[in-house]
Amino acid sequence: MPRPGFVLEVDERTPPLIVHEGEGYRMQKFPLGTRVVYPPDALPGLRDLNAHIRQALLNPVGDSKPLPELLFAGMRLTIAVDDISIPLPPMVTPDIRQRILEHVIELAARAGVDDLEIVVATALHRRMTAAEIRRMVGERVYRSFWPTHLTNFDAEDKDGIAHIGQTEEGEDVEIMKRAAESDLIVYVNINLVAMDGGHKSVAVGLASYKSLRHHHNVHTMLHSKSYMDPRPGHSAINDSTIRMGRLLASNGLKIFQIETTLNSETFPAQLGFLNKREWEWSTKDQALMMAAKKANEVAPPRVRREFFRRIEASYKVTGVNAGEVEAVHERTLENLHRQQVVEVDGQSDIVVMGIPYVGPYNVNSILNPILVHCLGLGYLFNMYRNKPLVREGGVAIMYHPVPWEFHTIHHPSYIDFFEEVLADTTEPKEIEDRYEERYATDPWYVHLYRTSNAYHGVHPFYMWYWGAHGRDHCGDVIFVGGEPKSVARLGYRRADSLRDALEMAKDSVGPSPSITYFHAPPIMIADVR
Amino acid sequence: MKAADEVKELARGFRWGRRPMVPRSAEPHTEEREDVGFPTDWARTEAGVAARQAILRGIMHPLVRNERSLRVFGLDHLQDVRGPVVFFSHHSSHLDATLILCTLPDRWQRRTAVGAARDYFFDVWWRQAFTALVYAGFPIDRARGGKGIDKARELVRDGWSIVVFPEGTRTPDGHMQRFRHGASRLALELGVGLVPIAIVGAYQAMPKGRWWPGKGRPVVTIRYGDPIYPQEGETHQSLSLRMQQAVAQLFDEDRTTWFDAISRAERSETPSLAGPVAPAWRRTWEGSRPVARRGPPKAWE
Repeated sequence: MPRPGFVLEVDERTPPLIVHEGEGYRMQKFPLGTRVVYPPDALPGLRDLNAHIRQALLNPVGDSKPLPELLFAGMRLTIAVDDISIPLPPMVTPDIRQRILEHVIELAARAGVDDLEIVVATALHRRMTAAEIRRMVGERVYRSFWPTHLTNFDAEDKDGIAHIGQTEEGEDVEIMKRAAESDLIVYVNINLVAMDGGHKSVAVGLASYKSLRHHHNVHTMLHSKSYMDPRPGHSAINDSTIRMGRLLASNGLKIFQIETTLNSETFPAQLGFLNKREWEWSTKDQALMMAAKKANEVAPPRVRREFFRRIEASYKVTGVNAGEVEAVHERTLENLHRQQVVEVDGQSDIVVMGIPYVGPYNVNSILNPILVHCLGLGYLFNMYRNKPLVREGGVAIMYHPVPWEFHTIHHPSYIDFFEEVLADTTEPKEIEDRYEERYATDPWYVHLYRTSNAYHGVHPFYMWYWGAHGRDHCGDVIFVGGEPKSVARLGYRRADSLRDALEMAKDSVGPSPSITYFHAPPIMIADVR
Repeated sequence: MKAADEVKELARGFRWGRRPMVPRSAEPHTEEREDVGFPTDWARTEAGVAARQAILRGIMHPLVRNERSLRVFGLDHLQDVRGPVVFFSHHSSHLDATLILCTLPDRWQRRTAVGAARDYFFDVWWRQAFTALVYAGFPIDRARGGKGIDKARELVRDGWSIVVFPEGTRTPDGHMQRFRHGASRLALELGVGLVPIAIVGAYQAMPKGRWWPGKGRPVVTIRYGDPIYPQEGETHQSLSLRMQQAVAQLFDEDRTTWFDAISRAERSETPSLAGPVAPAWRRTWEGSRPVARRGPPKAWE
């Protein structure tokens, strides 16, 4: 039985601890008494994955028939899959989506289904490239369907979007027309974090801007405490997508949801020390860490980026569940929490987080300053249940170089957002009121989103809103090692070292603050009591 | 940071060349059980005692005499005392135990064992063997509170006197730290006397972090005091306080005279050894002030 997560208290025996900082890491000595939250050890993967997938498809949970009974000749079948934003980093091939797709398509072929479309549920994310899709779905699926029947979703295709109706809260629900008109939608999901999956899969993954704006906004984000806690009443965004999903179901949409969960083997064997607790490092691990660190430091930036880009996670699948959306998701969350939840006793004055090199929106790309903000104050800060790791008015100290650097193809609207919007104000509500509409409807951004591989014009706004709760909650945000200009543009402060950052934090939390270091990745959820 | 410095940091942090240690809060929970640890009883057999006295007299004492000028006072206090007793002192240096054992009269030296921190002196075999042989050392578990002195209790019951340093660790700045209550609890429980010892100048001669005394035969004074005994109904806290005062009085006696020290103690005016309330550097500065040589200057000075 793998060890559960736990909270370490730094004492004089504690070695320096690894802290991620973008495309690199450092060994940091923490003050005595610092609490360090460690994720549980990786759960074992399912032994015979194909058997488990078959079992899930033939024995669905909730109010759903087995998949073969839902497939018939002459039907319209749409299969939607999660895009490149999960898992992180991309998993070694074969990707779990490929394995599930092959099973589903096999069943469809046997049932005589001819009208079959596979769509990558990108919502307002960038279109995946052909190579990325091939890697994700595998050669066989790719050769059979690309590019005519295996496509990226296009949220700006006015003719391809159907308005389903409005929820009781007045939220417009619009999704891909082809999916809405299908006899069956099969959704193939990877549930990396608690906010993934469930009704969010179809109601967000295949939705238009008009629909997404009802929950991707500042008000919702400020009332999602946290959005990684999908229990009713805790996450406004989750409540909203549930309303939308139920509206879809009440309008006759038939969704067969297939959800999977992964263990926490985030790094490959060559970087295995990153999956371990520091005091358990062997001499070989220590030597490897030092060698990799030094090689990384002297490597030219392009080489370094390429090295990190090539990292493939050796994730193992810990669960496959299929059937009716809510019943499936309940089991998925159970599985996920088994792997990710760590109980933590109370909040602290300061939370320390190392921002890794990859987030959901920069796979094969660059983690620009806005994405750093999102990954830190959005994702990592929100990895909690009940209450945040840091008390209200406390300080978040994050490690990242925050270079003023953007991927011009993937993130064109981010560049303008950074140069124009953040230069004017960093206040999320003001940004939403004054700028969002213009960026969301800008024809050039729409064009790039539809024809190139660009994130939608509104996407940087969502990234900014994603961190709104963390920003609102913390009294101060300090980046250790951050580039002065870009950190200042984000509206934060920077320090050269942890010691300096703690000195600066005294203004907000006094001279002897309690400190918690959130030792991620691997991903975990702090259940703060 | 330079690569060499990083490797140095890594070596220090991961304890290269030493026993790897798991942070306390990461140690797996185990049911508490009697940990016999390294056996030390052999060092208290007749043969062990003979070997120790040979080492103390043949090696340690000459070495101590050679490296510093040693002055011993107050041994007359022990003349009429019947053992066992608990010798206690403030802890300023690794020299302390050696100095005490080397200066004790023969009848006490034979039957005195030194309490040593289990986590420091009983971690590797060669240190365990050395501590047991030369000091008749027995382990004190600093993390286990009352249970950490089980061995001390057993030895006193067997008639052995023991040497303990109630501060629990060497002073980082030359000033006396708060006494922990293990020794006072033991004395209260067994009704034995507590003999205070002041070691003046050991910190200056070999402070924490040094492994050999400094040059110039620094002066070190060992001053034994009158035993103190637990009183009826006394708490361990107040006994610990009296123990601290006894050591402070010996320091005062060393600085002035026996009579002055007694008078000041009566008036509760004995200077405290806790040092100034000031930043660390100032405390260290004061604590490491050289000890002045006493008496007429030597001809060549």
